[in-house]
Amino acid sequence: MGRRHGWKLFTPIAALLAAMALLTLAGCSNTGDPGGSASASSLVVGASLEPTGLDITTTDGAGGPQALLYNVYETLVKINGVGNLVGLLATDWTVSPDGTTYTFSLQPHATFANGDPITAQAVVDSLNHIRTNPSTTATIKAQLAIVTDAVATSRSTVQVTLRHRSHFWLYNMAGPAGIVIDPKGFSTLGTATAGSGPYVFKAWNKGDSVTLARNTNYWGNEAHFGSVTFKYFADPNAMTTAMKAGDINIISDLTTPSALGQFSDTSKYTVVKGTSNGEVVMGFNHDSAPLKKLKVRQAIIYAVDRKALLDSVWGGQGTLIGSMVPPTDPYYENLAGYYPYDPAKAKELLKEAGYGKGLTLSMPVPNLSYATASAQFVAAQLKQVGITVKVQQQDFSTWISQVFQKGDYDLTVVNHVEPKDIVKWADKNYYWHYDNPEFNLLIAEADQAPTDAEFISYMKQAAEILTTDAAGDFLFLFPHIAICDSSISGITANEVTSSFDLTTLASRNN
Amino acid sequence: MRRVPLIFGLVAVGFVVVAALLALVWTPYDPAVIDPVHRLGGPGWPHVLGTDTFGRDIASRLMAGSRTCLLVGIVAVAFASAFGIPLGMLAGMTHGVVSRVVLRATDLLYAFPAILVAMLLAAAFGGSSLTGTLAIGIATVPVFTRVARAGTLSVMSQDYIWAARGSGISWASIAVRHVWPNIAPLIGVQASVSFGMAILAEASLSYLGLATPPTTPTWGRMLYDAQAQLFNAPLLTLWPAAAIVVAVMGFNVLGDALRDLLDPRLREVS
Repeated sequence: MGRRHGWKLFTPIAALLAAMALLTLAGCSNTGDPGGSASASSLVVGASLEPTGLDITTTDGAGGPQALLYNVYETLVKINGVGNLVGLLATDWTVSPDGTTYTFSLQPHATFANGDPITAQAVVDSLNHIRTNPSTTATIKAQLAIVTDAVATSRSTVQVTLRHRSHFWLYNMAGPAGIVIDPKGFSTLGTATAGSGPYVFKAWNKGDSVTLARNTNYWGNEAHFGSVTFKYFADPNAMTTAMKAGDINIISDLTTPSALGQFSDTSKYTVVKGTSNGEVVMGFNHDSAPLKKLKVRQAIIYAVDRKALLDSVWGGQGTLIGSMVPPTDPYYENLAGYYPYDPAKAKELLKEAGYGKGLTLSMPVPNLSYATASAQFVAAQLKQVGITVKVQQQDFSTWISQVFQKGDYDLTVVNHVEPKDIVKWADKNYYWHYDNPEFNLLIAEADQAPTDAEFISYMKQAAEILTTDAAGDFLFLFPHIAICDSSISGITANEVTSSFDLTTLASRNN
Repeated sequence: MRRVPLIFGLVAVGFVVVAALLALVWTPYDPAVIDPVHRLGGPGWPHVLGTDTFGRDIASRLMAGSRTCLLVGIVAVAFASAFGIPLGMLAGMTHGVVSRVVLRATDLLYAFPAILVAMLLAAAFGGSSLTGTLAIGIATVPVFTRVARAGTLSVMSQDYIWAARGSGISWASIAVRHVWPNIAPLIGVQASVSFGMAILAEASLSYLGLATPPTTPTWGRMLYDAQAQLFNAPLLTLWPAAAIVVAVMGFNVLGDALRDLLDPRLREVS
């Protein structure tokens, strides 16, 4: 073999090694600048979704609220770690007997980051700005559509009037819809934040990180960390590697549960496990002829062993739910056992529905690991009962257009992460095309129920309908797994809001 | 000593071909059947290479995957040859506008990587094995055009071509009788090299979800699924990666060895 051979052999090997490196390490190229350790009162948080914009009232996506809500922008009320509403910029609030007038008393000493006091008029201006700004996201517009009027009745009281009683409204006001923005900053919200939180926005290194700095004018207890960096990783394996290397102090949400074993050393790492708001739903298209039949939908649910699916797809981390309600919601009820795994029963139901000879269904899924893995599992199990599933993997934008917008599918899988998103089932134009008047009525009645007890009772009934009517197959609830180095404490176990709340964190080192 | 690459190439390629042919009629287990109770089993018996995260038999999936990858290789290379070779011969036998148009078009196509073509096709028709294979085929056309043209040019300068033209033989006849037999060995070598590249490209496209659907076993898809288990079950990544290495290396080395064997000038110097 001559010299020429050596070279010729080398080329394919090099190409192959390069390709393999790309395949397994895709997305880890942004780790050039190590974030440093928790010393010197700085904190680096690893996260997976970068914000799409700094103004969280005009941009969608989970990355913005994760970094900014409660940390940079504050709301009148906030949702605490166990899902209850507590005052933040409001010390107290009262609701009129008919449920349409809310009166908030403000924190007397609260100020914006520039030192200006937060007056009742500023709160009203902020709410009106978000309500009337044409760029406000459709979600927030819908949440605030119920507001008819907001007035400052004194320097420190705000009165908000609603069209009708609503149980969801105040919860929504604890999210991006209710942030209080300094009116002086309205025109520059895309490039600078104007909030009142313990941190202020400092820098956004696009494609890499967002850095917050301590707000030296903060009206409450001073922030624990001098600077906090949210560092974004497209590849979860790169994030776990950065954690092992000490480049980041916290993994805000571990998306490869199989990597948990690497963090078993309790002297170095603290693992916090809880529940999230992310329901992984196998959606049925209720406009598709076979899926209009209740027996077909029930057969599909009976034919899938959700416990085994959770073990296979997500390493057994997560919760079986049975309906669209996470355990942190007040109207939660464990419905996971309603349809036990029973392929024989599934076959029987299919036969009764007229599909004894088999059935073919399409299943386009987005290019996300939990979705493609769930689809493979579901397809294999449905084949056992005579349903042929044609799985198709699509990039996310194709999926959005074909499935989410055009409704061109039979089955699909996606994770629904918004809090209290059970109400989406009441919208027959939503991509499931589910239209059940009984369910819609219960949701409307619940929202306008005079007491909390009645609200909870109606919501429970609504959740039960989704289960008994086999509206969808609620495969599992995503776990919320956070990992931090052992010097850090105070991470909230359950993910009940869209914020990564820094105010509860502390570090032993500084 | 000179035979070593040839033997290595033949053995590696033979191994893949035999596995693919065998998978047509028999695999140890059904590659699609899941068995969650026995998930993530290590190598041993009865699952020789172990089981994946769904409890599917890895050896069976590798065998079934070789079927897909050979099929993609054959169809992509056949497509690329069918369009690339006539175009290359045309460009080599003509001068002026026709030749220049073909060459510029080839350059243009050369600038598009297979992955871009695959994304376009997947966006238009939905990703499938067919769109993936077509994308690889289209991206490989310019390679064959260039090789065929280079071979044709050197043949066209030979005296016997002048003699043939002088005796009034038609262009088509010259192409079939004189040019094609002389460039065929060159094309054969290129085909085996492109075959290896096509297997690698298919693995990458499947890995990115642009080609074969998730339920069909392919080596690229196996790599994608193994990624989530990279730390607790690294062997899951190793098996399909090893299969890709063996197949791609096999075809490359075989192509190299074939050229040495078929080119008389190289035979003289060694």
